[in-house]
Amino acid sequence: MKIGLPRGLMYAKYHTFAKTFLEELGAEVVVSPPTNKKILDRGVRCCVDEACLPMKIFHGHVDWLKDRCDALLTPRLIGVRDKEYICPMFCGLIELISNNIPDLPPLIDAPVTSLEYGKLIKWAKQAGGFIQKDDTKIALAFDRARKAQQMEQIGYNEAGYPLKIALVGHVYNIYDQFINMNVKKKLNELGIGVMTYQQVDRGDIDAQIQTLFKKPFWTFAGEYYGASVYISKKGLADGILYLSSFSCGIDSVMTELIQSEIGDFPFMVLKLDEHTGEAGFDTRIEAFSDMLKRRCEFGRHLS
Amino acid sequence: MVVTFPNMGNVAIAAKTLCQGLALPYVMPETNNSKTLAVGSYYAPEEICLPFKLILGNFILAARQGADTMWITGSCGPCRFGEYCELAMRTLKKLGYRTDFVVADLSSDVGVKEFIRRIGTVAAASPVHPVEKLRALRLAYQVVELCDRLDAKAYERAGYEVHKGECRRLLHEYKTKVRKTESPEETMEVLQDYGRRLDAVPADKSKNPLNVSIIGEIFTIIDPFSNLYIEEKLMGYGVSSKRMLSPSWWVKNMIGKPFRLGSRDVYKASDPYLKYSVGGHGKECVGEAALAKAQGMDGAIQVFPLGCMPEVVAKSILPVIQEDKGIPIMTLIVDEVTGEAGYITRIEAFLDLLKGRRNQNQKASHPRAALNMRQFPSKGV
Repeated sequence: MKIGLPRGLMYAKYHTFAKTFLEELGAEVVVSPPTNKKILDRGVRCCVDEACLPMKIFHGHVDWLKDRCDALLTPRLIGVRDKEYICPMFCGLIELISNNIPDLPPLIDAPVTSLEYGKLIKWAKQAGGFIQKDDTKIALAFDRARKAQQMEQIGYNEAGYPLKIALVGHVYNIYDQFINMNVKKKLNELGIGVMTYQQVDRGDIDAQIQTLFKKPFWTFAGEYYGASVYISKKGLADGILYLSSFSCGIDSVMTELIQSEIGDFPFMVLKLDEHTGEAGFDTRIEAFSDMLKRRCEFGRHLS
Repeated sequence: MVVTFPNMGNVAIAAKTLCQGLALPYVMPETNNSKTLAVGSYYAPEEICLPFKLILGNFILAARQGADTMWITGSCGPCRFGEYCELAMRTLKKLGYRTDFVVADLSSDVGVKEFIRRIGTVAAASPVHPVEKLRALRLAYQVVELCDRLDAKAYERAGYEVHKGECRRLLHEYKTKVRKTESPEETMEVLQDYGRRLDAVPADKSKNPLNVSIIGEIFTIIDPFSNLYIEEKLMGYGVSSKRMLSPSWWVKNMIGKPFRLGSRDVYKASDPYLKYSVGGHGKECVGEAALAKAQGMDGAIQVFPLGCMPEVVAKSILPVIQEDKGIPIMTLIVDEVTGEAGYITRIEAFLDLLKGRRNQNQKASHPRAALNMRQFPSKGV
């Protein structure tokens, strides 16, 4: 049985788990190609206009996969931690694709409310039941997939450059080189190393969140906030680059909260949508790097 | 302690009644206007949704008048409404106002202890007897319920009135008067008086006006300024409109939900299209759209602020409902730069379409109906 795995949204973070799980169950996994212009165009054509760029691209991946597999693995991600949520669009993602893309193969859309073992194993049994009827085999595949996911290191922290920028934002913006126009390469060419916000420990993030009046109910938003504040306080990087998708509700709140907390620590928000021009993007990155360089040369008290 | 509260439709009138009953000094926000919006969107983050900009505008203008305690409702996700209090708090602090926030979160979200503490801060500031406090709370609820009922009556009767514009005039009159009353009792009196007057508006039952259901994001549909007075515009066209979401509905639904009461029919109707909650009132929107035809509506208009995540999900489902149920649905998206002319054009075009559909249906039911009746193109409305 061929199971399609769209290379969009949370694929960036959980692809090892999903791939291992499906392969251990004996399915043939078809992954859509890395995002490209054609996939974006397909997505824009079928997706609702008001959705954000990563959602549109996800639609493009699903559209590419729909004739090439027997079923699609698209879990309904409601939350990844107990009593917390992620973006509300994820709760309705299944409705978005099933109502907008015609002739879809069956979707394996069991809901995930938390990544804790007890809850995720239930998901595994529901989702795995589509391919494999034997519960013990599903449990075995699930355990292997979990181990593989735990071994996987997400993100990087480059050394050996005179300056360093921390990339903060949704994983599907940070790790998709098409969406962010390979920002890492651009920064490297300017002599700037890149670290991603996943380098900050969960414990340190939680400590920073405590200062908020209300604990963010979006798990990932809390991580962006906590990590950015921690990075600025400890000086782990020289500046923060926040990659935000246009019309993202979470980013509209979090960029503001981060800015109000970190004071005059260098912070830049880059908005991404399907009309983002590369030239303007480059100019802003260059200006930001110039600013950082000058700041380091003349000392931090000047800026 | 000088209390203020945002303009969320009739909530402001209820909050005012409560303050009067508790003998707390308060600043009544002006009805939302272009100044509120200008101030709010100047200090608010660029991409946040319209309701926050208006609420922030209310708070800043009230703080300039000396208010120092902000009442605001909260929620704990997944819609960004829950983050409003945090953002507003920081913005006011940055502007140099020293303010306290009383955030009305549900006790199930913040814990019973915290919930009681927050209520306690309000109750402790009030000098009146505890029995009076409870009475004030009850009156506030009655006021908001009555207001919502008056509004609904006016919007519905506008389609039947003999003298055009009478319902709209009464609606305006009561809204201005009720904001100026000095005591809860006076407010009740005004409301009851206008209830009687609206009942007495001469109605022509033989008229068969178009019926339109207003659905979408709760703030933008209960606050007339943010939807560019869509319901009043419809009144002007002699169209009856209906809207389920209102502050009193919200309270009833909130209390009724744990006991499986509340708007069960709406949730049931939304299940085939949207099984899970997507935050905000996305599920309600879908359910109402699915029920509209059965309720005798000719069409539905969805209104939501730009970037509203739950409603975007709902919007993507509406075309399917349109096809299934055979009811036209139009979506209007509002933000601080919405142009009124284009907005009116779209509403007029939509109403023309509804009228055309009606005429066609009548012709179709005629025995000598045209053989090749063109089907209404339900896609792309």
